[in-house]
Amino acid sequence: MMELLDPIVLTQFAVGGILAGALYALLACGLNLVFGVMKVINLAHAELMLLGSFLTWLLFTTFEIHPLVALPFIMVVLFFFGYGLQRVLIERIVGTTELSSLMVTYGLAIIMMNLGLLIFSSDFKAVPALQGAWFLWDEIIISIPRGVAGIVALLVTLSVYLFLEKARIGKAIRAVAEHADVALICGIDVVKIRMITFGLSAAMAGAAGVMLSMIYSFSPETGPDFILKCFAIIIIGGMGNFAGAFFGGLLLGVVEAFTAGFISTQWAEGVAYMLLVIILLVRPTGLRGKAHA
Amino acid sequence: MSGNNSKLLKIRALDVSYGSVQVLFGIDLDVTPGEIVSIIGPNGAGKSTVIKAVIGIAPAQRGSIHFKGREITRQPAHEIPALGIGYVPQGRIVFAEMTVTENLEMGAFLLKDGKRVRDAVDRVFSEFPRLHERRKQNAGRLSGGEQQMLAIGRALMLDPELVILDEPSLGLSPKYVDIIFEKLMGLKEQGRTLLMVEQNAARALSVSDHAYALELGKNRFSDTGQALLNNTDVRKMYLGGA
Ligand SMILES: Nc1ncnc2c1ncn2[C@@H]1O[C@H](COP(=O)(O)OP(=O)(O)OP(=O)(O)O)[C@@H](O)[C@H]1O
Ligand SMILES: [Mg+2]
Repeated sequence: MMELLDPIVLTQFAVGGILAGALYALLACGLNLVFGVMKVINLAHAELMLLGSFLTWLLFTTFEIHPLVALPFIMVVLFFFGYGLQRVLIERIVGTTELSSLMVTYGLAIIMMNLGLLIFSSDFKAVPALQGAWFLWDEIIISIPRGVAGIVALLVTLSVYLFLEKARIGKAIRAVAEHADVALICGIDVVKIRMITFGLSAAMAGAAGVMLSMIYSFSPETGPDFILKCFAIIIIGGMGNFAGAFFGGLLLGVVEAFTAGFISTQWAEGVAYMLLVIILLVRPTGLRGKAHA
Repeated sequence: MSGNNSKLLKIRALDVSYGSVQVLFGIDLDVTPGEIVSIIGPNGAGKSTVIKAVIGIAPAQRGSIHFKGREITRQPAHEIPALGIGYVPQGRIVFAEMTVTENLEMGAFLLKDGKRVRDAVDRVFSEFPRLHERRKQNAGRLSGGEQQMLAIGRALMLDPELVILDEPSLGLSPKYVDIIFEKLMGLKEQGRTLLMVEQNAARALSVSDHAYALELGKNRFSDTGQALLNNTDVRKMYLGGA
């Protein structure tokens, strides 16, 4: 037990946790973006991520394209996939009950998962494009794939955040999230903004999928674990709140890393839900949620 | 004055239903350039629905709406601002989690040129110095009166000919009611045309060139503001007294 309290070990856990949490943050921010703008919980979000993972795997194994080179291309593909999906499917459930949006996106998740099983089988895949480790101050070890994945995830999330804060379209997305009716009479084509929003969310999921493929093995059935954790994160961080999902994701990564280090990796898998219960007991609206959201 | 082209806005025989419930029955309404026109009536009379039909967020089943001689009856709402119509929603709805400046920018969303947007923001700030003072704050932190100014400022961003306001003085302190009515007179002096819905019927009639009194989704009275103010029936039914 004593060596666990060594500052080096604690820093090791913290750094590992933040890097892993960055991936959760990227995924959860995308999920929360769609929820914030159209009040739809996209249960197929993790399947969009896996679409990114499988595209990475295909490009890597057939054309030897490095995942980091494939990243922008995959994000563009996922953007247009999401954009089209919003147009033909999701737009129909905007403004309906939350139950019908859950059923439609759950159906979408099942279809995507089964298509994945048909095409790729249930075998696990991996994309071992990066290897090795960095050493910080000679003592803290960061595996290069995890380090790169975490940093890229942070950069993508930050870019989307800046886009929402500063860009003309980004501001319009925030306006639609608050009052679609008023945005409409400001001349904002709300339907188109929702397509862009879903595209952006899918591109974020795709980027998460590229990063995932470099650090974990995955199969078409990997989705449910991730979507449940993302759920926990956005509830912890506050539904619809971008910054909340970001910090919620990092928090989960760190708590998982410490749980794995101090207790066991089995416990780490369940800690998201314990964290959820604890935070909701203390603050029923989530860390950054509003009292009457 | 009776020629078609002398009307900025012309509504004829307008029917609107929400689902199977019809709320407007054959509404006629004219707005002449440069005038202030008010719609008064009790709660639920359909006042908001008339202007929502004009700006395309309530569905017109029958009848027609013309703006500057051009039919806009079923024009999508997001195409309305480009025509020269600004709208201030009931309940002074602002984007609470966006700054004052960002709220104004949304009013000029159609302008893609950042320079022109900034010029428009500056023009509104010069008209509403109070908004300039609070430009970096989130709109949710403003007082009710300030939010109403912001909602008006946002509607002015594209320099509209016609400004449509839904209950601009509702829920404001008497001081802000005065300020808002002064602003409305100022807009008229700038040559803008105003169509407004007001609960404060006496106040609205006193500044209006024309007014329409609705009852249960139908036209009940229409005349000059002054004539309606002196009409005993109107006084009894809409002004709560003799
Ligand atoms: N979106 C809607 N769906 C269904 N019914 C509606 C909707 N909006 C308004 N109504 C109904 O239509 C009728 C007219 O409403 P409207 O808002 O136009 O009245 P109003 O004269 O503006 O009233 P208020 O003074 O309360 O603002 C009311 O009976 C109202 O309940
Ligand atoms: Mg109303």
